[in-house]
Amino acid sequence: MDGFLEYVPGNSFLHRLNPVTKIAFAIMFAIACFCTGNLVFLCLMLALGLALAASCSMMRQTLGLMRAVLAFSLVLAVLLLLTTPKGDLLVELPWGYIGSDSILAAVVTVIRLEAAAIPLFLTFYVTKMTDLSNSFVKVLHVPYRYAFTFASTVHFIPVFMNDMRGIMEAQTARGVEFDQGGMVRKIRLMVPLCVPLLISSVRKTNSSAIAAEVRGFNLRTRESGYKRYPMTGADWAVIALGVVVLAAAIALSLL
Amino acid sequence: MIEFLDVHASYDGTTPILKGIDLTIEDGEFVAFVGTNGAGKSTAMRLVNGLLKPDRGAVLIDGVPTTQLKTSELARRVGFLFQNPDRQICSSTVRDELLFGFQAVGRLDDEARRRVDQIIEEFRFDGDADPFLLNRGTRQLLALASIVVLAPPVVVLDEPTTGLDFCECVKVMGIISQLHRAGTTVIMVCHDMEVVADFAERVVVMTDGRVVDQGPTFDVLRNRKTLDEADLVPPQMVDVSLLLPVMEPRFAGTSVATANTLAEMQAAIEDVAAGGAAAMAASEKDALDDVPFQGSERKER
Ligand SMILES: Nc1ncnc2c1ncn2[C@@H]1O[C@H](COP(=O)(O)OP(=O)(O)O)[C@@H](O)[C@H]1O
Ligand SMILES: [Mg+2]
Repeated sequence: MDGFLEYVPGNSFLHRLNPVTKIAFAIMFAIACFCTGNLVFLCLMLALGLALAASCSMMRQTLGLMRAVLAFSLVLAVLLLLTTPKGDLLVELPWGYIGSDSILAAVVTVIRLEAAAIPLFLTFYVTKMTDLSNSFVKVLHVPYRYAFTFASTVHFIPVFMNDMRGIMEAQTARGVEFDQGGMVRKIRLMVPLCVPLLISSVRKTNSSAIAAEVRGFNLRTRESGYKRYPMTGADWAVIALGVVVLAAAIALSLL
Repeated sequence: MIEFLDVHASYDGTTPILKGIDLTIEDGEFVAFVGTNGAGKSTAMRLVNGLLKPDRGAVLIDGVPTTQLKTSELARRVGFLFQNPDRQICSSTVRDELLFGFQAVGRLDDEARRRVDQIIEEFRFDGDADPFLLNRGTRQLLALASIVVLAPPVVVLDEPTTGLDFCECVKVMGIISQLHRAGTTVIMVCHDMEVVADFAERVVVMTDGRVVDQGPTFDVLRNRKTLDEADLVPPQMVDVSLLLPVMEPRFAGTSVATANTLAEMQAAIEDVAAGGAAAMAASEKDALDDVPFQGSERKER
């Protein structure tokens, strides 16, 4: 059972990169996707993202996440379709029309979101959370306090999902039928679950704060981490690739 | 009646957790499941009330496969106490928490309210207390009460006494054995072999997704070979009762080695021991009579 955005052990090229490089590349990649609406460029980016996923054999996880992103971006795309009348008239609507360019915009939105999301998600799959936060402290001199907050927030996501599953199971055992009825009914059934989830979250957060405190959280400095995170030639090469991609996107948008 | 027919089960459809389980649990039985952590006991419990469906084989409740029963129907037939009571508690007062089960199965009526008041009385709860502010043991009791109140014909308990102190444990087990005496089928996962010996009628030993031994409680507890294989340690009394007849011939042939409750076992050992003590006292007396001088001198002091 692999969790959502949880580290998958491995020794691929991406696994071995410096965590800072991975994040930097993912962010540049995402910005590049939002800089241009060039469909060909976005498709190339999508292909590059998938190639990266394949290179660390993370295809299954990536496809799963792409499905989730697709659901979300489709909603946006439909909204765009109905609200931005552009190009040649195709369908008449009471408040405007759907044009050929509206369809193009909708397609661009879907591909853009998919392409931008892949490297970001991938980063979490090929990087241990502790490495990510420690390298931020070491390489980028981010205060440990913030890095820790970020790391523990992300760390708690699978824990909460596990809690949620346990709570739903407990309610099912008491006869609450999550598997039947429409959306509204389901949401109404979910409400009682929020209470135990909230309680268990507060308890967990509280106890991990106390645990961090008694283990000398306040004494920790940038030098406390044992592991070093050197930037290698490969790291600089990847960052250079990121810069090139970003520059290309900006150039395309200015043309 | 609950039947496991060659049940294979997994969480993700690929990693088998249960690997072929055959079991029958009759109405009104008290069955304990024992085994090390990860043996698949909780998974087996999930199958009983249909939270998990078998990949292969079938789990039948009164002859109906769990796959054909609706969630609310299953909940009516099988009450389930989870190891962690905080996962099920979801209301802001004890009374609402007890009513929640009726609401979930669509039976929230005056009869239900009467039952709830009766249970609050019986368990000595404060009906208006906030469940989340109660201590661990009381929360566990509340979780148990919210099942008892629905009076299901079968209750499944996953480690009901883990993490409780002795008093709380006695309280919880008292309620469970009361349920059992009233005719409820009790299926319990338990790590405390003393509790198992005290309450269960039948024990099922699981290792690595398989049932390796099952039978009347004391037959299983006396079978040291399989218990050792399953990394389980029976109550000391059972060990003593196995050792005594080997070490001391006077115990052979008495009910020490065949008793079926801890109390019976203890009584049998005490019986033999008392007989032995009397014999010893008599022989000591004879020995003293042979030395009159020492005896009379002692008396003078
Ligand atoms: N929700 C779950 N998803 C995936 N695997 C699980 C889940 N729950 C338990 N397991 C696995 O199933 C196996 C048996 O677990 P479980 O039935 O809880 O054992 P027991 O209760 O005997 O300690 C363990 O190896 C555990 O890792
Ligand atoms: Mg368990």
